[in-house]
Amino acid sequence: MRRLDQLFERSTRSLAQRTSRRSLLASLGQLLTGAALLPLLPMDRAGRARAAETKPRADGPESCQYWKYCAIDGFLCSCCGGTSASCPPGTTPSPISWIGTCHNAADGRDYIVSYNDCCGKSTCGTCDCTRNEGERPIYRPSRNNDLNWCMANADVNYHCTVSVILGVAEK
Amino acid sequence: MLCAALSWPLLAARVLATPPPLPAEHLTVERLPPRSPHWVYIYDEAFDNEIDARVYLFDGDRYRRLGQIGAGFYTSLNLSPDGGTTAVATTYFARGSRGTRVDVVEFTDNTTLTVTREILVPAKRALSVTSLFNLAYSADGRLLYAAYMTPAASFGVLDPAAGTVLGEIDTAGCVEVIPSGHYRVSSICESGRLLTVTLDAQGHELTRAMSEPFFDADQDPVFVQGIPTTRGVVFLSFLGEVHDIDFSGAQPEFGAPWSLVSAAEKGHWRPGAYQVGAIHRELGRLYVPMHEGGEGTHKDGGTEIWVYDLASHRRLARWPLKVHGLAPVVAVQVSQDPAPILFATTDKTADLAVLDALTGQLRHIEKHVGQSPWMLLNP
Repeated sequence: MRRLDQLFERSTRSLAQRTSRRSLLASLGQLLTGAALLPLLPMDRAGRARAAETKPRADGPESCQYWKYCAIDGFLCSCCGGTSASCPPGTTPSPISWIGTCHNAADGRDYIVSYNDCCGKSTCGTCDCTRNEGERPIYRPSRNNDLNWCMANADVNYHCTVSVILGVAEK
Repeated sequence: MLCAALSWPLLAARVLATPPPLPAEHLTVERLPPRSPHWVYIYDEAFDNEIDARVYLFDGDRYRRLGQIGAGFYTSLNLSPDGGTTAVATTYFARGSRGTRVDVVEFTDNTTLTVTREILVPAKRALSVTSLFNLAYSADGRLLYAAYMTPAASFGVLDPAAGTVLGEIDTAGCVEVIPSGHYRVSSICESGRLLTVTLDAQGHELTRAMSEPFFDADQDPVFVQGIPTTRGVVFLSFLGEVHDIDFSGAQPEFGAPWSLVSAAEKGHWRPGAYQVGAIHRELGRLYVPMHEGGEGTHKDGGTEIWVYDLASHRRLARWPLKVHGLAPVVAVQVSQDPAPILFATTDKTADLAVLDALTGQLRHIEKHVGQSPWMLLNP
């Protein structure tokens, strides 16, 4: 029995050294909050039916017509292993970018969108998307999509382009 | 035995009828025929695999490809004033698609299509969809100017004969290298002005001057794909204004702008392409790919070619392209001889059309000439 007591004592002390009451409460809180929010998250109940379709939705991020892509000219990272706002694995985001102003019909707002390139691999070669609303020639670089925006990266090879919302455009 | 005797004459006849065997062949390398004004250099950006851009040399009379020049990644290129050399400014990576970046200008002898010289340049080249003014020779061919962008804008001054970089000139945010005289380089600024830097023969800056604005980048920006004329360069605007600039003097002189479109057409019909016009300099004819579209369609390509007389500003013809089964045209070039032909390429279908530049009559369509034929050059 004494051995069992010692064993529990050691494990309890070890746990106490590695954690705190605050972290325990935080973990419990996260668990409870997550469980509470779970039913509120949007669920795509049509997802199973749509999984059989191969053509991307016209209003989805794998379609060139997706609202965020209004000033893009390049390959959509959402078709290349990334998403509309994340680079594919193994690539590096460009720290500099051009911007566009795109209208989101779903909420009626205009958004400033940053078009960053994902760099370090050769061109993705799928989902080439050329839309140029508000695009301007190279003498206005901040609005130009003919430049390779990987130009300031350690590896300047261009792979694909993401479209990151920076905020609501002020009128 | 009887059967063999009967069949012998047949066999003999067959042997006699068999042609002699083909002679042994000797492997050789083809030599280019004498240069023709109807040759065109087709720049293929190879957009799906951009580290492998290339230039095809195509014969516009015999409709055949004559050879190829390697062009690397996000290429700038131009022909020397005598047409004898193709200069390609490009970037390579040590391990194909990755690794140490090397920027280099390669010079190809256009009579053999072999690279005869190269100049290593700083890793600052402007990595951009190209135009005729990303890499440009001085009129006498002694200096070569290469646009840099990091994104700070500047340009390199090279000596092609010596194979050296002479220096770098800061352009205060202005872009492109538009050459004139001995030795001036003009660049387009966001303010709508032209910066003109005058160099000495060693490529050192002597003076610089900024022009008055000649366009408004907000209201009606100009395409950077300028079109050379006998005395300067024509720039077209998104809405179809023609800015004819005379670069023959110490500073650029701006002609009064005129419009490609009528008041009724303005805003509906507009120019659009990656190479948005061509000019036959002696005839004074301007060829522009035009399409119907609104804001954001400036790279859409032309469904028609509109032809203008530069002196009178009169539209001479509209040549529809769809009737020939052509997709919208994204690049045009015209030969400079008295019997000129117009070359026009399409984007995704990558077709090359050859038209009579005087009548618009279609002579030939070379299907799928490459992948992304976005710029055409000729001597």
